[in-house]
Amino acid sequence: MKILVAIKQVPERDAQIRIGPSGKWIEEADLQFALNEPDAYALEEALQLKEKSAEAGGEVVVVSAGPERVASTLREALAKGADRAIHIVCDDLGERDALGVARLLAAAIQPENPDLVLTGLQSEDLGLGQTGVILAEFLCLPHATLILHVEKTETGLKVKRELEEGWFQFIDLPTPAVLTMQSGGSKLRYATLMGIKRARTKELRQLPAAELGVDTKSTVVLERVALPQKKKSTQLLPGSAKEAAAALVEKLKSEARVL
Amino acid sequence: MSGVLVVIEQRAGRVGRTSWEALAAGFRLSAASAVTAVVVGSQIEALAAEIAARPLGKVMRVEHALLAPYTADGFSLALEQLIRAETPDYVVFPHTYQVRDYAPALAARFGQSLIGDVIAIADGPFFTRQLMQGRLNGQYRSAGDGPCFVSVQAGAFPAEASEAAPGAAPAAIATFTPALDPAQIRTRPGEPFRESSQTVDLGSAQRIVSVGRGIKDAANLPLIQDLAAALGAELAASRPICDSGWLPMERQVGSSGQTVAPRLYVAIGISGAIQHLVGMKGSQCIVAINKDPDAPIFEVADYGIAGDLFEVVPALTNAVKSSKT
Amino acid sequence: MMLLPLAPVEPQHFSIGEELLFAVLAVASVYSFWRRFGPILHNILQSKKDPDFHLFPIGKRLRDFVWEVLCQAKVIRQRPLPGIAHAFVFWSFCAFVLVTLNHCATLFGAGFLNPAGPIGRFYFCFAAVFAIACAAGIAGLFVRRFLVRPPWLGKDLSWESGFIALLIFLLMVTYLAAFFVTDAGPAARALWWIHTLTLLAFLPVIPHTKHLHLVLSPITVFLSRGGFSRIPPLAGDEDFGLVAGNDLTQLVSLQAYSCVECGRCTEHCPANNTGKLLNPKEIVLGLRAYLNDCGPASAEPLLGKYNAQEAAFQCTTCGACEFQCPVGIEHLPILIGLRRGAVNTGLWEDQHGAKLFLALERGSNALGLSATERDKFIEKSALPIFDGTQEYCLWLGCMGAYDPKGREIVQDLARLMNHLGTSFGVLRKEKCTGDPVRRLGNDLLFQQLAESNLDALAQSKVKKMISICPHCVRTIQEDWKEYGTPPEIEHHSEFLARHLHQLPAQDQSEKEKIVFHDPCYLGRYRGVYDEPRAVVALAGQLVEAPRSRERSFCCGAGGGLAFLGEESGERVSHVRAEELSATGAQTIAAACPFCNTMFRDALAAKGEGAPQLLDIAQLAARGLPRS
Repeated sequence: MKILVAIKQVPERDAQIRIGPSGKWIEEADLQFALNEPDAYALEEALQLKEKSAEAGGEVVVVSAGPERVASTLREALAKGADRAIHIVCDDLGERDALGVARLLAAAIQPENPDLVLTGLQSEDLGLGQTGVILAEFLCLPHATLILHVEKTETGLKVKRELEEGWFQFIDLPTPAVLTMQSGGSKLRYATLMGIKRARTKELRQLPAAELGVDTKSTVVLERVALPQKKKSTQLLPGSAKEAAAALVEKLKSEARVL
Repeated sequence: MSGVLVVIEQRAGRVGRTSWEALAAGFRLSAASAVTAVVVGSQIEALAAEIAARPLGKVMRVEHALLAPYTADGFSLALEQLIRAETPDYVVFPHTYQVRDYAPALAARFGQSLIGDVIAIADGPFFTRQLMQGRLNGQYRSAGDGPCFVSVQAGAFPAEASEAAPGAAPAAIATFTPALDPAQIRTRPGEPFRESSQTVDLGSAQRIVSVGRGIKDAANLPLIQDLAAALGAELAASRPICDSGWLPMERQVGSSGQTVAPRLYVAIGISGAIQHLVGMKGSQCIVAINKDPDAPIFEVADYGIAGDLFEVVPALTNAVKSSKT
Repeated sequence: MMLLPLAPVEPQHFSIGEELLFAVLAVASVYSFWRRFGPILHNILQSKKDPDFHLFPIGKRLRDFVWEVLCQAKVIRQRPLPGIAHAFVFWSFCAFVLVTLNHCATLFGAGFLNPAGPIGRFYFCFAAVFAIACAAGIAGLFVRRFLVRPPWLGKDLSWESGFIALLIFLLMVTYLAAFFVTDAGPAARALWWIHTLTLLAFLPVIPHTKHLHLVLSPITVFLSRGGFSRIPPLAGDEDFGLVAGNDLTQLVSLQAYSCVECGRCTEHCPANNTGKLLNPKEIVLGLRAYLNDCGPASAEPLLGKYNAQEAAFQCTTCGACEFQCPVGIEHLPILIGLRRGAVNTGLWEDQHGAKLFLALERGSNALGLSATERDKFIEKSALPIFDGTQEYCLWLGCMGAYDPKGREIVQDLARLMNHLGTSFGVLRKEKCTGDPVRRLGNDLLFQQLAESNLDALAQSKVKKMISICPHCVRTIQEDWKEYGTPPEIEHHSEFLARHLHQLPAQDQSEKEKIVFHDPCYLGRYRGVYDEPRAVVALAGQLVEAPRSRERSFCCGAGGGLAFLGEESGERVSHVRAEELSATGAQTIAAACPFCNTMFRDALAAKGEGAPQLLDIAQLAARGLPRS
């Protein structure tokens, strides 16, 4: 089975957030970048499917769009066990909307004719959670989202999908298909020295975005970004046990909205 | 193009609160009379009637046998046809798991990007979304030619704003029958199920009540269990409690136990040693109850009560119970 | 009056037949020796060369050789009585070299020690003194092994040890008996032959038993790696640590064959003492069995049939084993080498280990917390930021920056440094030094962390560092050397001890008894024992735990174990906490935030009446005026 995993390189979770001069995005100069964690789960699922499969000749290919720095994340994916990598070199990823990004990915993925395409559920920076679904649309493939487990069957795949409030369901679908993976379905593997050394000999193909000939006009524009109001300090609720308890329940209902 | 379509989500014949919130968001975009509620499924007459009681323009019942159960293909095709027929300016959804499954693909068919998980709508309209895991807000505007597709975050808009006015006349209900072929539905969903409740799965619990050494004795645990029951929460503990055998090891939260990230984490009588903190720091909302106001747990808590847990916990249990009535 | 005999009586003349018999037996003996020793030598020499071994400087090697081999220092120090008994056996062997050569030479009439001459007489008496000591010593050791039966010698009786004890005893007795023979008659001849046959029987026994150490251990001690817990660098792209036989180096093979099975390592192992699978002696013997069965070129995994992966990951790297091995075996590079082999190849599947590695792959600290927590702490505590002008860079480390107790220690140290007028600053950003991943064998992650940190330190122009954590100190000072030149760094106990006279005096009328726990990474790893004690003495009356200084018993956190899951068996920290509490001290003084955190849980389980737990910085700061 040939599995294509679309991954994204995002700012490190610890990153200091400062608004850039244009007011349209954060300052990226001092940032460190890492593999988007939900995509790590997608990659893990792909690797496990390949390792568990009895057939020989399975392949896991990772693809990512972005500037030069994305190559390091692709190499990390190769080190963890992916066989090949495709880097869509693109310096204006931030200017494109979800549709535009999915178009780029679809253009690179289509010629590969994969049996399965996996993406993480959403990215840690924009958090749109749409790329996989739109990708399925462009590739004309069936899809399912929020998947925890994937199993190969005679007719295609049987996947376990997460629903709200602790419910789950199984879905049968044919291959080829697109799945967006929920985090936590399997245990992530750590990068190993052996993996990194072997990765040096694996193919990392660079594909300039311009060559893919996709439309770049955005239908949705991010006008500006701002830091949210700081409400993060601990609220100590005073008064007697009864008063504090009542106040707490009120806060949990109206402010935190967890009750 | 005109008007606003609000897609109402139903499960087993019941409409979720988030859909009413989406309706309220729709009212922010246009006059109520120009808002059309859409409900999709099979044999949804009663549902449509319930929705029609709300103060809006009209209700569209998108009916087809192939629309129950939910499938991404079915809903995308049906709604695509409806939208082409109705030509709205906006299509509004609640940001649910189901909507995330099909709305982006639906929007793509109109050459549009879904503006998802919106927390506020400002005049323009500008849609505010959260970025960088809640540490940054972004304002978006639509720049395309087709309808603007928007989904709204749970709790961002008040469901009360779309409540039925008593005595008002119900809205008109129209039925729309999309053209669907079984071959177009490519996925076969199974029946929803819950995992067996025997194994303790703290990792997926939405609410957790956690107890630490402050409880002093195993005999005092029922106090905590009552609160957990009232909150519909799973019971967890810091390491010393499990070490003493007062609760099983599988309920341990911390560096040598489980890592959890529920929506609500209530830490009772837990000081906040690092080994415990690393296991629950990802929780969305942390409440701490401890008699020591300097306990480290208060540094990570969103809300805290510095008091005697033997007084606070029963009071809290009562307050939670009365809030439910 | 009978004069004391001054020399053994030797037969005057041997027949050709006897000479031939001797020649045949000698050849058989040497051949038999070589048949076993040859392959062993081959296994050692055919192993991979050690990438960082340097014979020079030779001074330390010679000093260690004299102290540990000739003076038998390590043998005696940890087990005095059996140690001295063994020392005498060893010294006798040394004294007997000339005697034995002479003994064989007399067969051919070529004896060079004349029993009538002064030199000969002196030497024979000299040897006799040793013979008596040796006989007594070996008899005592025999009684200890077969009648007293201490647990660390193993449950099974070693018959080969008994046989060798017998041979040695016989050699000494036949030598001494020859003094009392009246003439060079049949009795003398009989004694000569018994002595000779015993010798010839002894020779082949050497390579077949642990007495191989007679030949190897002086070499092993001389050829040590040159430092405590000296982890060798990986050599080349295909080296991932000790995965299979073909990864074993000459030093490791030599050490595996040198083991005398004395069990000093296992006796002090905290894992073994608390019921875990790990047994340092068995790790070494497992390698020996591997070499005997598979040889040094095999691809059979080292962790599998011969040693369990589970055992290798129970090690806290406390170093009690390596520190006192009398034959120069370096257990820590072996254990870490085995771990490297499992981790660098992804063979180690441990949920907590993976969590630790993933936390450091994506974040800055081993606890998986957001760096903003560290920023908040620095701001709240008003710690100055290092800008190149201050004398010290105060390295917070993961525990100092994120652990509530660690933070208290840092705050008290900051107060002390302010009181002493020593300027310092903290870095805006720190990454974990990589200590836990280094000890767990993840070289990829360690290299990334070391290089990133060295870069940041160089850019910030850091010259001198101080830290509250012995793990940070060790890793920065020694382990980072593999990737660059780290600044000098000291532990806060060393700093405080230097400024002792400037630290405020404290009211000692309470006669508070304080027991100091030597952290492994400060004591055995760094040789710092007195400095923290000097600080403790400022605050109260110092008492010692039964196992202290270089014999200190680990708290259980090292080797990355603080980040792994539940231990099996008893908790190491509980055992040590109990030992410290049993001294009757009101306070336990710690000098490492990991020891502090381990004991905190253990003491909390004890409940009321447990001693309080304070870091030496907190003890010293008690005398400061409350600000």
